[in-house]
Amino acid sequence: MDEKELQQSRRGFVKKTTALIGAAVLTAPSANAISLTNPGRERGDARYIGQEGKRFGMVIDLRKCVGCQACTSACKSENRVPKEKFRTYVPEYELGTYPNVHKAFLPQLCNHCAEPSCVSVCPTGATFARKDGIVVVDSEVCWGCGYCINACPYDKRYFNPITNVADKCTLCAHRVDHGLLPACVESCVGGARVFGDFNDPHSAVSKLLSSFPTTVLKPASGTKPRVFYIALSGEIQGLPYSPNVLDDMARKIDGMPTTREWSTKGE
Amino acid sequence: MDFGTLLHTISSITPDRPWGIDIPNYFWFTGSSAAAFIISSFAHVFGMKEYKPIAGFSLLLAFVLLVAAPMNLIDDLRQPGRIINFFFYGWENFPTSPMKWGVLLLIAYPLLILVEALVLYRPYFWFSKGMVRSQEQIEKDHHLGVVLGAIGIPLALSVHGYTGYILGAVHAIPLFHTPLMPILFLASAMVSGTGLLIILLPIFQKFFTDFKRVDMAMMQRLARLLSWFIVIDLVIRFFWLTFAITFNGEEKYALKLFFGENFWEVLIVDYVICLLVPMIIGFTNYFARSFKWVLFAGILSAIGVWIFRWNTVIGGQSIGKTTPFLLEYHPHIVGFDSIVSVLSNWSLLIALIALVMVIFPWDKEMANYYVTKEER
Repeated sequence: MDEKELQQSRRGFVKKTTALIGAAVLTAPSANAISLTNPGRERGDARYIGQEGKRFGMVIDLRKCVGCQACTSACKSENRVPKEKFRTYVPEYELGTYPNVHKAFLPQLCNHCAEPSCVSVCPTGATFARKDGIVVVDSEVCWGCGYCINACPYDKRYFNPITNVADKCTLCAHRVDHGLLPACVESCVGGARVFGDFNDPHSAVSKLLSSFPTTVLKPASGTKPRVFYIALSGEIQGLPYSPNVLDDMARKIDGMPTTREWSTKGE
Repeated sequence: MDFGTLLHTISSITPDRPWGIDIPNYFWFTGSSAAAFIISSFAHVFGMKEYKPIAGFSLLLAFVLLVAAPMNLIDDLRQPGRIINFFFYGWENFPTSPMKWGVLLLIAYPLLILVEALVLYRPYFWFSKGMVRSQEQIEKDHHLGVVLGAIGIPLALSVHGYTGYILGAVHAIPLFHTPLMPILFLASAMVSGTGLLIILLPIFQKFFTDFKRVDMAMMQRLARLLSWFIVIDLVIRFFWLTFAITFNGEEKYALKLFFGENFWEVLIVDYVICLLVPMIIGFTNYFARSFKWVLFAGILSAIGVWIFRWNTVIGGQSIGKTTPFLLEYHPHIVGFDSIVSVLSNWSLLIALIALVMVIFPWDKEMANYYVTKEER
């Protein structure tokens, strides 16, 4: 074989191989390898679809919250939330100056937004909103890039150290799908947390929404949260950039070590 | 009355932050790669003869940087074994997830550079096998090189621009959320890429070529180029910061807090020491003629852009979203996303540079511009 023929047979080889790879790539979608969403949703798994026609959410009546953290602990035990991670919690604030001071509590959880900024940035389709509005993460598809954690304006996502992927409040979907209330609602001693279907005009949440002025956290973020608050103080609605957390300052003074990669900055 | 000062957070939690030291390093690598590609295109596409001697070298550098860069991303993942999901699932989010654009860009761009480099060096590979490409073939190669380079320029801009999009799209973080982010990243990338060339070029010219001398005129040219890139970078940063801090909505409070707390790192170290000083060196004939000063400027600007990447990625995440004040980041020494993993990535880069520079006859090609036929 002279040089030219060798050249041509090489070219032929390259062409054939390219065609083969191209054909393989093009036929792959028909084998369901490439998906617009994720395998669970494509299968139509009930846990992924949710309850069609409903729109779940919560109304939190802050006049009734006493800051007891029953919701925080109920959530932790119901969902086996790992140490130092929280799906819901109740920060405590001190407003005003002495002698005109009062305390405020702000129960927070995933807002299950109508326009969730965490979902739209997910590059693997692992996180998505069910048809009933509950935003969940498929812990077997998520690759742990953390884009959703940064995209959430409410800091309501974390890395689960056991599954090693993004994790968050599911509004206790596993309970809700069986007709139960979310753990935090069930355990709320003052009845501050009310759960229900916003599509149903007779639900408790719909009635609360129509009877009281309500608002949401950080409305400017444009995510349209579906957790509404009654009697939310304007001072903490935007979630403040005030100086240190007093709790942290006490921890620093006590000389407690910083073990986490990310920690609260102390003075 | 400023309610903020009357408001204390008694208890709160410490939220999670996903991105560590790998991410600023990734941005630095892709940025420098894009810059090296653009500089090589000065000669390959725009026909600027004065950049011809370094065109091939910086093309190879662009390739190597972009092969090493994605390793940072894989290391930052909590489940790197699931990387295939990135290719298979979630395509409905393609329009809204800039990270997803990386699927196409991070594959297409290094492949294109590799093909361009192979075309560029084809006559030399042939020559080493005792074959000579005809004048007609060489002209054809040249034409193909121009076409590939022309496609490569928007691709290079995209491959770094998209990283700016990744951050700019995050409206939850005031320091990220600006439409200027892609262009800001590109401008600083040109600075770091030129800085890196200023550091590597003399090493390779002095020690790994047959002619063994540093092209001082080229160094001076690069120093001047660096200064102009710094001017562009500073102008864009000026627009960004004036709008973000002064004429902004709610975000300005977080930014004021951030820049107030990090005044020294941001303004003195990054802006004055790492940008203004190299700019002055490049623009002043006295300094620009001195090899040592130019090298110093290159090192400073390369470090400065790394600090800018760090300040943006880590600094942005340090701003509290539901918690007051700032968070602090302490990278782990070993393990995933640690100081050692970044050092390993740099080692990989050096190994790849060595490998690629051994395989490609860049020194033979470069010698054409420095050695006369008789000397050879």
